[in-house]
Amino acid sequence: MASHTRKAFLSLGRINAAGLGLQRPASRVTYATDLSINSSAGKKGFPDRGGRGFVRRPRRPVGEPRTEKMPVDQDWTAVYPTATPFRPNAVPLPVRMGYPVKGGVPPEKKGNLELIKIPNFLHLTPAAIKKHCEALKPFCTEWPSALDTDARCDEHFPIKVTSTDYMSAGTSVRNPSARVVHLNVKLSSLNLDDHASKKMLKLVGNRYCKDTDVLTVKADSCPLRQQNQDYAMYLLTVLYHESWKTETWESEKSVADMEEYSWEDSPSQRNILDTLVRMKAAGEGEGEGEEVREQLLGRIEVQEYKDSVTRLKNEGESESAMLQYKEAVKKVLNL
Amino acid sequence: MAASLSAAASVRLLSSLSRSGSLCGSRGLHVSAARCKNQAARAKVGKGDRPLTYEQALPPHQIGHRKGWLSQHPSNLRGEDGAADRTVEDVFVRRFMFGTFHGCLANEVVIKRRGNVLVVCALMLQKMPPPKFYFLIGYSEALLSHLYKCPVKLEVQTLQDKTVYKYL
Repeated sequence: MASHTRKAFLSLGRINAAGLGLQRPASRVTYATDLSINSSAGKKGFPDRGGRGFVRRPRRPVGEPRTEKMPVDQDWTAVYPTATPFRPNAVPLPVRMGYPVKGGVPPEKKGNLELIKIPNFLHLTPAAIKKHCEALKPFCTEWPSALDTDARCDEHFPIKVTSTDYMSAGTSVRNPSARVVHLNVKLSSLNLDDHASKKMLKLVGNRYCKDTDVLTVKADSCPLRQQNQDYAMYLLTVLYHESWKTETWESEKSVADMEEYSWEDSPSQRNILDTLVRMKAAGEGEGEGEEVREQLLGRIEVQEYKDSVTRLKNEGESESAMLQYKEAVKKVLNL
Repeated sequence: MAASLSAAASVRLLSSLSRSGSLCGSRGLHVSAARCKNQAARAKVGKGDRPLTYEQALPPHQIGHRKGWLSQHPSNLRGEDGAADRTVEDVFVRRFMFGTFHGCLANEVVIKRRGNVLVVCALMLQKMPPPKFYFLIGYSEALLSHLYKCPVKLEVQTLQDKTVYKYL
């Protein structure tokens, strides 16, 4: 067959390595058939030293590796311009990798599969990165000098839209999670009055974070990212306008709907005033009256009591709040 | 598979067969208890004349400790899709390489994925003349690119002989 004759020709005429395309009729030599038998013996044909009694010779002289010809001051970015697997003949380092045999050393780099398996960063030397930066510079523009602090950025660009791009090793660039859009805005940057901010908080619910005063709107119901972005901006616009409007049914807001505890007209105020009036009546025998209540309200101890109760109700129970309440109660009741 | 037969079940089978054997003759099936032994990818210790590469000599429980992975891709990470597709691609690529470069592969094929690109790294023996190698490399790249609709690159290194790690 043609392939066998070509093999025979090459093994015979090693000097004429250039004339590979020539089809000279050559007689079949014994070791061509031997080689073909050898190659079909298994997945990896090893030289059969025990059986045949000869050693397989290389077909043409193996050239010296590139590492021998490398000058010390060469341009390494030309040897490894892009990410490529490890090439032992191109890397002039005597690296060894692998678990050593007992009493031996780790295997050398020639034919070492472990060095090929791992990712290498030979293409990312500092010189290479400098070259990348130099190539990218013409495409870059200066950061605007007026936006030098975070606060200024927030002031000029209060709405922040975040979306994620996904990269995977597959044949498809599409990823369904890439359509999710988050819109973050600080409520303090929106023009809301007292009623509007309270209504806004009721409308958004748990999308608002009290600690950072940031409203987060997550839009993922549309199939495309642009659609989700538009929808999130639309939601923000609607929320803003709706919170400024006052509906007729909002006048039915009861104490249970209130966001904060207010002491005026609360049972606590009534109770403390009743107690103080009765204490006063027991002490001095004066009659009840509106002026008495107002006078009592004006007293500092009553104001302190009001502050401590408001604090307890709004901020929850804590050591300092309870102590403050205790002190206020003691002062009010003259204990 | 012998592994599916437990010791108790095999004893019951043996006793039932022996009983049936005594009625119509003394021919029976002799079954011993199954030894559920791990034998995947492990080279049996021999006389010391069988050469093994590093990949063949280390058993699979050393993967991650003394051996690396032949194929790694981000689809195996948590929350990522496409792991099954990549695995099937890997299996096909290995069979394809084994068949195309028959008898020339010195070691296992390493498959790397960089974004869209499929990089197939193979260590070959210098069994064929270089033009033939070039033709087969180009043929594999073109065929695999068309099959998988993504750029496929072959990184081939040739050796004189296989690197031997151990003789077992």
